[in-house]
Amino acid sequence: MSDKLHSAAIPSSGGVARWLPWALLVVLALLPIVGAELGLDYYVGFVRRMLIVMIAATSLNFILGYGGMAALGHAGFIGVGAYTVVALVDAGVSSAWTAWGAAVLVSGAIAALIGAVSLRTRGVYFLMITLAFAQMLYYLAVSLSAYGGDDGYGLYSPLELGFGRTTGNAALFFWIVLAIAALVFAFASRAAVSRFGLALTGIRDNETRMEALGYPVYRLKLAAFTGAGALAGLAGALLASHNNFVSPSTMHWTESATLLVMVVLGGLGRRWGAVLGVAVWLALSEVLKLYTEYWHWPLGLMLIAVVFAAPRGLAGVFDRRRAVQ
Amino acid sequence: MSLFVAQDLVKRFGGLVATDHVSLSVEPGEVHALIGPNGAGKSTLVNLISGLLAADGGSIVLDGVELTSLSAHDRVRHGLSRCFQITSVFRGDSVLDNLLLAAQAHSRSSFRCFGRRAGESALRERALELAHTVGLADMLDRVAGTLPHGVQRKLDVALALAARPKLLLLDEPMAGMGPEDSQQMVELIARLRSEAAILLIEHDMDAVFQLADRISVLDYGKVLASGDTAYIREHPEVQAVYLGVEEVR
Repeated sequence: MSDKLHSAAIPSSGGVARWLPWALLVVLALLPIVGAELGLDYYVGFVRRMLIVMIAATSLNFILGYGGMAALGHAGFIGVGAYTVVALVDAGVSSAWTAWGAAVLVSGAIAALIGAVSLRTRGVYFLMITLAFAQMLYYLAVSLSAYGGDDGYGLYSPLELGFGRTTGNAALFFWIVLAIAALVFAFASRAAVSRFGLALTGIRDNETRMEALGYPVYRLKLAAFTGAGALAGLAGALLASHNNFVSPSTMHWTESATLLVMVVLGGLGRRWGAVLGVAVWLALSEVLKLYTEYWHWPLGLMLIAVVFAAPRGLAGVFDRRRAVQ
Repeated sequence: MSLFVAQDLVKRFGGLVATDHVSLSVEPGEVHALIGPNGAGKSTLVNLISGLLAADGGSIVLDGVELTSLSAHDRVRHGLSRCFQITSVFRGDSVLDNLLLAAQAHSRSSFRCFGRRAGESALRERALELAHTVGLADMLDRVAGTLPHGVQRKLDVALALAARPKLLLLDEPMAGMGPEDSQQMVELIARLRSEAAILLIEHDMDAVFQLADRISVLDYGKVLASGDTAYIREHPEVQAVYLGVEEVR
């Protein structure tokens, strides 16, 4: 029995899994060039947005899937990142790196504060309190008349990337987003099998035991929550540059919920879960929008079908190891 | 000097005084058993000592270090480790992964998010050592949740041993066990006393009288009597409250 488990674990770690990420990276890197040739600029932009959402979803998957923290306020941190860019642009900052870097720091700091309070609670209470904090941020954004309030804030000139380039250079911005998304994915993959990731998984599975083993459970969770918030803020900052526009709706709780649905759809606590979930969800909604105004309907039905057919999420279908168990 | 001293511990749940000025001590190398009928407050006391519950009063000192205001995980770092009455292991993980996780808590930082833990040979050695100590070396690849109850109990003990505790709290280690498994556990605990002093909470009287150097009897949150096995066996109040009940059953 133990031998069977062992041999079943081998195919998933080698072979396809090894070269697939690299192949995907090459294909995506070629996209702006091929897209420009074929006049598919819109779709290059679409994939860019997809990659940005993947960054946010990956960070959510880390705390929810590996850490078991059911946070329903992740869009709040995306919003903090986006509004940090707005605030800096409004104050005259023009460097993308400065704005994005500041977004990471500010959203990380806000996540640390919110986490410090929220992580005193668990389960549904944690979900409600993270939701409440995100809604507070949402209404704060609505009330910020200096940054457009309800109407949002337009970023009229693209941010500078150095060497005379700006985020207005669609291909270059695409590659930067791709590189960041790939780094985040690689980091999350490594972290999942590191001491930190495995401790987090232990907390998800049996928090009391982890405390009794001597783990500083609260501090570990707070570190994960802060890191995830910072990455969500980075996604928000990139999204601001992608749209050249930021509005409070970015941080509305339905955005948090959609992000959560995407991660669950893709596979909670699975390496490819967030990436798959975002890709399928956004691609489907894009396609369905071509056919009907009521695209939420078929999307909802498909989601129900997936939940029944693949309760472990799409990534779970490919993960043979767990299937054996 | 005693290795461990709990002084005047108090815990109230609303109007109920679950732990009523309990004091007890454990000497180095000693097995001190804590017995008492259901609802006497044994589990509450274990949770107070291990830090999973905050005490309303009293103090806890282990090896000269005041632990009273420390969190549960900090108490573990100071050498106070525990098992659980209801087996508490990582059911979805293999025995080896369980032991690795326990070993990890006591070697370097768990905030490191680079580097595969699987590559750490020191951790693996420690895990194997723990497996040998409790007799699980031939089950490393088994998924913990699929193991028989008695084996899971051993794993629970192994997890607690990872801390190299000075004092080991065993919360009803024989609970739900058949006679054969119980005897194995008695033998295991007898072996462990060379590594740590033990505070043993147990219902199984045979086991208690086999293992304990001293016994304290808890009833209605208070220590009714405390002394060596012969003293407890002869104590009239204890017979009435506890041992007597056992005979009637």
